[in-house]
Amino acid sequence: MTGHWCDFKNADVIISCGSNNVENHPESARWCHTAVDNGATWIVVDPRFTRTAAVADIYCPMRSGTDITFWGGMINYIIEHDLWQHEYVLNYTNATYLINPDYNFDVTTGLFSGWDEEHKKYVTTTWGYQTEETVAPNTATGGAFAYTLGEGVPEFTPPSKLVPKKDATLSDPLCSFNVFKEHYSRYDLDTVCNVCGMDRETLELVYATYASSGAPEKSGAILYALGQTQHHYGSQNTRIMSLVQLLLGNVGVAGGGVNALRGEPNVQGATDMAMLVYDFPGYLKWPTVASHSTLREWLEHETYSDGYYVNKPKFFISALKEWFGDNATADNDYGYDWLPKIGSRDYTTISTFELIDEGIIKGYFAWGMNPMNSTPNAKFARQAMSKLDWLVSVDWVETATAAFWKAPDLDPAQIQTEVYHLPAALIYEKSGTIANSGRWLQWRYKALDPADEALPDYEICDRLWKQITSLYTDEGGACPEPILNVKWDYHIDGQIDPRAVAMALNGYKKQPGDDGDWDSRELLTTFANLQANGTTACAIWIYSGFYGNSEARYDPSQQNVGKRSLEDKGGLGLYQEWAYAWPVNRRVLYNRASADMEGKPWNPARKVVEWTGEKWDNNDVPDFVAASTAADGTSVPVPPNNKAFMMTWEQNARFVCSTMKDMPLPEHYEPLESPTDNILNGRQNSPCIMFADHPSVQKGDRSEFPIAATTYSVVEHWQTGAQTRGCPVLVEAMPDQFIEMSVELAEEKGIANGDKVRVWNNRGDVQLTAFVTRRLRPLQVNGEVCHLVGMIHHWDWTGDYSTGDTVNDLSPNVGDPNSYIPEYKAFLVNVEKI
Amino acid sequence: MADYAIFWDASKCTGCKGCQSACKCWNLLPSPLGKNVNEPTGSYQSPLDLNGNTRLLMTFQENEVSDDKKWGVEWSIGRRSCMHCVNPACATVCPSGALSVDEDTGFVRVQDDKCIGCQYCSGVCPFDVPRYYAGGSRINKCTACLDRVKNGGAKPVNGGTGTGNPRYSVPACVHTCSPAALDFGTREDMLAKAYARVQFLQNKPVNPCSTASVYGDVQLEGTHVIMVLKYAPETYGLPADPKVGILPTLTSWMKPLAAFVGVATIAGLGLSYITGLGYKRDTLHFDPDTEETIDMDTGEVVCVGDGHGHKIRAAADAASDAAVAAVATVADKAQEGEE
Repeated sequence: MTGHWCDFKNADVIISCGSNNVENHPESARWCHTAVDNGATWIVVDPRFTRTAAVADIYCPMRSGTDITFWGGMINYIIEHDLWQHEYVLNYTNATYLINPDYNFDVTTGLFSGWDEEHKKYVTTTWGYQTEETVAPNTATGGAFAYTLGEGVPEFTPPSKLVPKKDATLSDPLCSFNVFKEHYSRYDLDTVCNVCGMDRETLELVYATYASSGAPEKSGAILYALGQTQHHYGSQNTRIMSLVQLLLGNVGVAGGGVNALRGEPNVQGATDMAMLVYDFPGYLKWPTVASHSTLREWLEHETYSDGYYVNKPKFFISALKEWFGDNATADNDYGYDWLPKIGSRDYTTISTFELIDEGIIKGYFAWGMNPMNSTPNAKFARQAMSKLDWLVSVDWVETATAAFWKAPDLDPAQIQTEVYHLPAALIYEKSGTIANSGRWLQWRYKALDPADEALPDYEICDRLWKQITSLYTDEGGACPEPILNVKWDYHIDGQIDPRAVAMALNGYKKQPGDDGDWDSRELLTTFANLQANGTTACAIWIYSGFYGNSEARYDPSQQNVGKRSLEDKGGLGLYQEWAYAWPVNRRVLYNRASADMEGKPWNPARKVVEWTGEKWDNNDVPDFVAASTAADGTSVPVPPNNKAFMMTWEQNARFVCSTMKDMPLPEHYEPLESPTDNILNGRQNSPCIMFADHPSVQKGDRSEFPIAATTYSVVEHWQTGAQTRGCPVLVEAMPDQFIEMSVELAEEKGIANGDKVRVWNNRGDVQLTAFVTRRLRPLQVNGEVCHLVGMIHHWDWTGDYSTGDTVNDLSPNVGDPNSYIPEYKAFLVNVEKI
Repeated sequence: MADYAIFWDASKCTGCKGCQSACKCWNLLPSPLGKNVNEPTGSYQSPLDLNGNTRLLMTFQENEVSDDKKWGVEWSIGRRSCMHCVNPACATVCPSGALSVDEDTGFVRVQDDKCIGCQYCSGVCPFDVPRYYAGGSRINKCTACLDRVKNGGAKPVNGGTGTGNPRYSVPACVHTCSPAALDFGTREDMLAKAYARVQFLQNKPVNPCSTASVYGDVQLEGTHVIMVLKYAPETYGLPADPKVGILPTLTSWMKPLAAFVGVATIAGLGLSYITGLGYKRDTLHFDPDTEETIDMDTGEVVCVGDGHGHKIRAAADAASDAAVAAVATVADKAQEGEE
C-alpha cells in the first residue's frame, strides 16, 4: 500500500470497499477505530453487511463485480460538485497533458481506440500524449545518463524524453483531465444505482461523505483487498480507486492512500520477491522473448527517460551480479542470457493447469501453495493434476494438493503421479524477515525447533540445489549453464543462513573473487549506491539499506530490520525506528504530495514533509529530490517543485494512461457470468478477458443459473484451511462451510436456516450449510430483482477435524490481462435444498 | 482491596473470537476432537452456548430494524461469560467454598479441588453462566485469568502504562484483542471509560447511537465486567434487569448443613427444582429438519424458527420473566416466613 496500517488513524474518512477488513485483517480494526475516535466517518461498501459493516458508520450495498461503476459515479459526482482538489490535480497529475487526438471510446461497441480484432488486444499508442519536443538523453557529466558511459556498463541507448504538450488552462478537450471527466459523465447516480443495486439516497450519502476528503486539509483512506482485485478487470478496479484518490488529493498525505490490505496470503512478500511469472524481484520485469531477448533490449525497453527509473539498469545489473557472482561479467552481459525468457505461452496459475492438462507441464512444485483448494475451477485443475508425472508438496501439513489423489471424485488406481511431501517448518520455527502490506520488514527470531523432520524452506531449497547441481555436474544435461553458473553462497559456518540471504538482498560492494565471503563485504546503506558496472551486487534493490550495518553483520538486532523502538516523531504513527519500510525506510509513498506547491503541508497537524523556505523539514523520508550534491560535494536543498511522483517518467500521476493492457481509463464491464446486461456500453465483458475461450470454463447462462455468487474468507480460518482446520479450537469456532443467502431467496427456494443445500453451476456441484440472513438482501438491478449469495472457501477433503466440499469447483478460470488474477468474486450458480 | 474489572466495548468488538480462542488456549479447555463432530449452528455463533469446556463465547444476533438506511439490520455481537458480580450469588450459595471472591481484585474465582459438583451456582446465576463439567465433577466458568493477573501485577496494557509484565498482567482475552475492544484496569477507571465512550457514541455527528448504554454498573449492584453496549442488552443475550433468585436466601440457612454431603445432596434435589424455574438457558439443540430448538434436558421444544440465537433468546427471556416473577413470589413468602 502507499501508506501503512497505523496511518489509517489519520484519516477523516475511511471507505472499506472490496475488503471486509476487520474480519480478514483484524489488526486494521484498531487503527480504523482510532480514526473514528478522532472524528472520522467509516464507510463500508460491500455486497453484504459484514462484520466490518457492523462496526462502521455507513453501510452501502453493491452487486459484486460493479466496483468501476461505483467509483466512476463517485468521480462524476466529485467533478459535478466541484469537490476535487484543484491545486493538487493541476500540478501533481497529468491533468493538463494533451492526449493523442485519435483517442476515442466508442460506447456502442464498448471499445477504446486501438483495438486489434485479429490479435484480440489493444495497440495503446492513441492513449498516449501529444509531444511538445523530444529531448535527447543527457549523458554529459552530471546528467541523468552519464553513468551509462562508464566502464563495465552494458552498452545501450537510453531513451529520449518525449515532452508532452500541456494546456494549463484545461480549455483543450484533449487535456487528460477533460478526457477523464467526459468519460465518467455517463456514470450518473441513477445509472450507478441501476448497475450496482443500491438506493440513491445511500449512494449520495456515501459520495458526499467520501468526497468531503477533497478539502485540502482533509484526507480519506480507501481500504481494499481481494474483493476489488479478483475480477477479470481487477487491475482496473484498483486503478480507478487511485484516480478517485488523486482527484481528492488523497495520495501521499497522512491518512490517505490506496491501501491494498495484504498479509494473509503474503501477497506483499510475493510481489516484492516476484513470485509472479512476469516479474523480477523489486518490481522489475522478467525478460520475455518478445521484448527482451538481449540485455540491451531489456535495458532499452525498461529504462525510463526521466524520473527515478533512469537508474533501473543499476538495479538490474546489480541483481544479475548477485545471481551469478563472479561468473557475471561485462563480457557475458552479466549472465543475462542464462535467465530463461518467457515465450508465447503463459505460465500463470490458470494457464498452468491448462498446460498440465495438455501434457506440456509434467512436474509441479507446490511450495506453500494449495491450488487444489484455491485455484478457480478446482475440479478441472485436479483432473489435470492427475496427468502429472510427479508432484512435490512443501507444506506444514498434508494439503489437498499433496492429497489430490484422495479427492472423492478421483480414483487413485487410475493416477500414476508420484507425490512427494516435504514437511516445512512453521513461521515460528525459523528465523528471517517478514513483510507486511505497509512495506514494513521485520526480523523475527526462531521460537522453537521444527517438529520431526520439518525444515525451514531455505534449508529445503539448499538441499535441492545441492542435489540438482551435483546431478548436472556428475551426469551433465541439457543447458546446464543457468544452473551451474548460479552463485549459491548463502551459508554461514557451513550452514544455509537467512542472515547471508539478508545481506544478499540488501546489497554490497562486489569485489572480484569474493563469492562466499560474508565476513568482509561492505554492505550498502541505500540503493542510491548501486552501480550498473558490476561493482555492486544486490538481489532486490528496494530492500537495500534494511540490513546495511557492516559493523554487526551477523547480528540482526543491530540492523535497521531489527529495530523495535516505539518512538513516533511527529505523532502520525510513522514509528520511524520500528522495523524498516522499503524503500529507504519511507513510510508514506509520494509524500511530496502531502504539501502544496510552496511545500507547506495541506494540513499542518499532519505534516509529513515541509519546506521551511530554506530547507526541507520532514517527519518521513522524502519521496522526491529534496537535495542535490553540489560540485564541492556538499548537499544543497532543492526547493519545492511539482515532481511529486518520481517513479513515473512524467514525475506526475496519471489520469489517462497508456501502460495498462486493457483500458486507458477504467470502464465498466460485467463479470464473465453476470445476472444482467451491461448498460454502460455495448460490450458485456472486457475485450481483454483472459482464458475465457478455454473449454473447461463452461460459461453458465443466467437463464439456468440466475443467482450471483461471490466467495470470501472468515476470520476463524486461514485461506485453504489446511492449517486452521487442524486447530480444534478454530474448527469449534467455525465448524462448517456455509452459504449466506437472503431471507427472500431462502423463502423462494424453500430453504430454512441450517439446511444443507446444493450449490451448482456447469463447473461444480457442492453441498453447504445455509445461513439465512438479513445481512444479504436482493438488489434491484436494471429493473429486476437480483439475488446474491456468498460462500466461504476454506474446506476440502483433507484434515482431521473438519472436511467439506471445495467451493472453488464453482469459480470460473478466467482472469485479468494485467495481473492474471482469477475472477473468484463474481459468477453464477443455482441453489436448492437437499 | 483493589477492585478490578474487564472492560468490553461492543462498538469496537468485531466478533473475531480471538478472545474465545485465547480463553480456551490459556485455560487448557479442550475442543471436540472427532472428525466433523461440531454441529453447524446456522450462525457465526459456535458453539451455540457456553458449556463445560467453553467459558467465553461470542454471540451473534441479527436485529431486524425498520430504518432502511441501516439496510434493515443491526448486528449485535455479544460477549457471553461470567460477569463477576460485585455480590456474586454463586459464591453465596456455594456450599463448599469452591466459588469465592478474590479479595485482591474482586473477581469470582473457582477452586476446582473444592467443587463438589452440586451446581447450585448454575441455578442461581442471573446470567446462566457456570457450567457443569461432567468429566471432572466440577464447575467451569471464567476466572478472569487470576493466574495471569495476580502474577503479572494487574496492570492495564491497552492504552495503560502499567509496569507489570504485559504478557501476563491481563486476562488472556484482553491480551489478544486486536481491535482494543477489551481492556483491563480498576473498576473505577473502566467505568469512567465506559461512560465516556457511551457519551461519545450517543453524540457522534455521523451515525450517533442513541441506544448506547453502560452495562455492569447498576445491574445487580454492579459487576466486574463493564460493558459498553450499542443496542438493547437483550440483543447481546443479557437480561435488561438481571435478578437473583431465591437461592442465596435459602442457602443462608442451608449452608452450615452443607458440610454433610448427604444433606447437600438432598437439599440439592430440592433446589434443582427451584432453580429450574430461574433464569436459565438450558442446553439447546437446533434440529434443522423440524426447525425446532429443543431443550435437551427436558425434551421440550423451546421455539420453532430459523435457529438464530435471537429467536431462542426471545423465547427464553419471555419464559424467564414469568419464572423470575414466580420465584420472587416464593422468595417473598419465604422471607415473610422467616420474619
